[in-house]
Amino acid sequence: MIKLIWSIGILLLLSGCGWDGAPTRINDFVPLTSIKIEAVSGAIAAHTSTKLTAIGDYSGLFSRDISDRVVWASNSPATADFVTPLLPGRVTGLVPGSAVLTATAEGLSASFELSVSSSTITSLTITPVDQSLAVGLTSQFAVAGVFSDATVQDLTFDVTWDSSATSVASVSNAAASKGFAQTLAIGTSTISATFDDVTAATSLTVTEPKLQTITLSPQAPSILTLTTGSFTAAGRYSDGVTRDITSQVTWKSSKTDIATISADGTATALTQGSATISATLDGISGTTNLTVTGGNLTAITLSPYSFTLVKDSVSRITATGSFLNGSILSSRDITEMVTWSTANSAVAAVTPSDGNLAWLKALAATTSTTITATYGSKSATAALSATAPQLATLTLYPTALEQLTAGTSSRFRLTATFINGITQDVTANADWSSSAVSTATVGNVERGKGRVSGLAVGSATISAEYGGKTVTAAVTVKQRTLQNLVISGGTSIVAGNQVAFTATATYSDGTSMDVTEETVWSIDDSNVIMLADSQNQPGQVVAVDGGSAEVTASFGNKTETTKITVH
Amino acid sequence: MKQTREIIIMLSLMFLLCGTAAAEHTGPYIGASIGANALVKAKCTDDQGDFRLAFDPDMQWSAQLGWDYGQGNPIGVGRIELEYSFRNSPLDKVSFVEGGYAGAGKITTESLLINCIGIARDAGIWAPYLGGGAGAARIKASGLSSAGNPLGSGSTVVFAYQGEAGVDVRLTDWLSLDVGYRLFGALRPHIDEANGGSFEMEYLSHSAVVGLRAGF
Repeated sequence: MIKLIWSIGILLLLSGCGWDGAPTRINDFVPLTSIKIEAVSGAIAAHTSTKLTAIGDYSGLFSRDISDRVVWASNSPATADFVTPLLPGRVTGLVPGSAVLTATAEGLSASFELSVSSSTITSLTITPVDQSLAVGLTSQFAVAGVFSDATVQDLTFDVTWDSSATSVASVSNAAASKGFAQTLAIGTSTISATFDDVTAATSLTVTEPKLQTITLSPQAPSILTLTTGSFTAAGRYSDGVTRDITSQVTWKSSKTDIATISADGTATALTQGSATISATLDGISGTTNLTVTGGNLTAITLSPYSFTLVKDSVSRITATGSFLNGSILSSRDITEMVTWSTANSAVAAVTPSDGNLAWLKALAATTSTTITATYGSKSATAALSATAPQLATLTLYPTALEQLTAGTSSRFRLTATFINGITQDVTANADWSSSAVSTATVGNVERGKGRVSGLAVGSATISAEYGGKTVTAAVTVKQRTLQNLVISGGTSIVAGNQVAFTATATYSDGTSMDVTEETVWSIDDSNVIMLADSQNQPGQVVAVDGGSAEVTASFGNKTETTKITVH
Repeated sequence: MKQTREIIIMLSLMFLLCGTAAAEHTGPYIGASIGANALVKAKCTDDQGDFRLAFDPDMQWSAQLGWDYGQGNPIGVGRIELEYSFRNSPLDKVSFVEGGYAGAGKITTESLLINCIGIARDAGIWAPYLGGGAGAARIKASGLSSAGNPLGSGSTVVFAYQGEAGVDVRLTDWLSLDVGYRLFGALRPHIDEANGGSFEMEYLSHSAVVGLRAGF
């Protein structure tokens, strides 16, 4: 085997064969052997000009335009002369007569006899006629003059150009850009050319800016299977302005089995692979590559998989997907992506909320049913037993919150015990209130129920009411100074897995507190790690693709960063 | 270039056929080798832009004086040597914006390098080696021209380097056959232009060599 590797290695070394780029240097090693002058015409009218071109022949090997390298001269400067130094070779007839014009370089010269006539202009014709251009675009106008001797001459350089509406379009009279028009604003301008009191005109209509290019962002993102990603389309228009055209373009995915994309630019990743996402408007397209990582869905698991719920109460239900990428297994929350159904809709209902949050509600009593979560061909079921016993007692845990600091929060959990002995977490079903909302508030909506937030130093009583009974607990908010913030949760994650990070604050009095929910979490490279669900799963991240990224936690006046490597 | 490739491919395939035997030399040695050299198409740059010089393959020869470290040596199995090489590269074609034209003249390169070579030696008759060297090269442009028009000439001494790979075939206890490949490069030499000024050229060459090495 080593012999084979050695042979292949040597052969590969032969791959480099030198520079095959395009030369940019002219060949001036070959001597110039002759010059000739080319002209559109040998005769022009007085007060007009024409362009002479000096062509150099290099030993018969090649020839090239050397107009800018020769010295131009006239034997009768009063008749015709090179009066525009900026434009080598442009000669102007001054008075009727003839002049011999010479081009000299490297000891060689060529001559050309130019006749200047006394003919007068009779008409002018501008091209293009009645042009329509989008704002920001340009056009080169030309004008041809017919003279009294029936000759026709290009007078683009010799006329005086004018625009009737300079705010709509400008036209240049500079020597190097005569007749060059620039559109500026929507409207119509009359472009005119005047020579010896003869004028020709045409209209230039300036229309709405025209789309030139489309750029999609983010460029080449990676997202996990069974997640969504949003694309935006920015259109650069002829007026130089870039506009958000996300809602105007037509979105398309090159591989709909890997990812689909909706009309608003939201891509849904279905299976692992790559697809090209394109956005098209007015025949202009922009594309980017979308990489779907995290393996393919192999199974769904529901948590809890068995419920006993009291009639009219709700409980959170979560769907977790198992994914296989080659031989690598991973799992993550897919509650948001599955379709929920119940075997008996009179007994139970599932209500998805924002993000990875769904609520199961018992609608009837003394009946059982199943709840199914489905994604594609994969599904999972959970059993629900609905009941309606009489409430016996309520218990709050913890019994009091004495370590709360202004700007932090903590949670109460409410447990109901019924006369038949069953217990149920009814935190999400209770009605919560605070006796002193300026000191501490308590959430009373969905997942926020039971979450107490300290606002100011003082005391408050938190009440939870359920089933006609009420329990209370004391909350004490203290003043502390934040000293330190620590992130924990690991430094290495397998792609596709969901990992929970926690943020712990340490205060001046030596106490510490979990502030994960109050912390603002961010990630510097969403192609490597993404936030799982910032609302319902604060601090939780999902590894997207191999690489490293930084997870940053900001709380109070402290910011901590930890580097995570995804394998 | 095609001819050079064919030679190198043939030499590369040769040692696939090698069998096994034994014996190795330790101590000083002298050697000499000849081969084919191909200077790759060179990007040349002056204050007017870039142009290209293409060369025909031609001969090269070299002589070495070195020390062979055998099995059991604490610094490993290999050789260290001082090598003098001569390479000849006739100019074939010169390309400018206007096109390519027949070239004439040549680039000759004399180099003096110190090479370090590691050898994967076992009990077999042959052993592959890999090495590298560094030193100086005197690069001389003689009568470079394009379509009969003088282009440049002159000489310059620049830093040079070399990578090498090949196979040692043990012929006797003191005589070895060396079949190898050399990748020889030099820092961009400056060459005087015929019409004043100078240009710098990229310099990289491929060589296939066959040599004999005698230990004593």
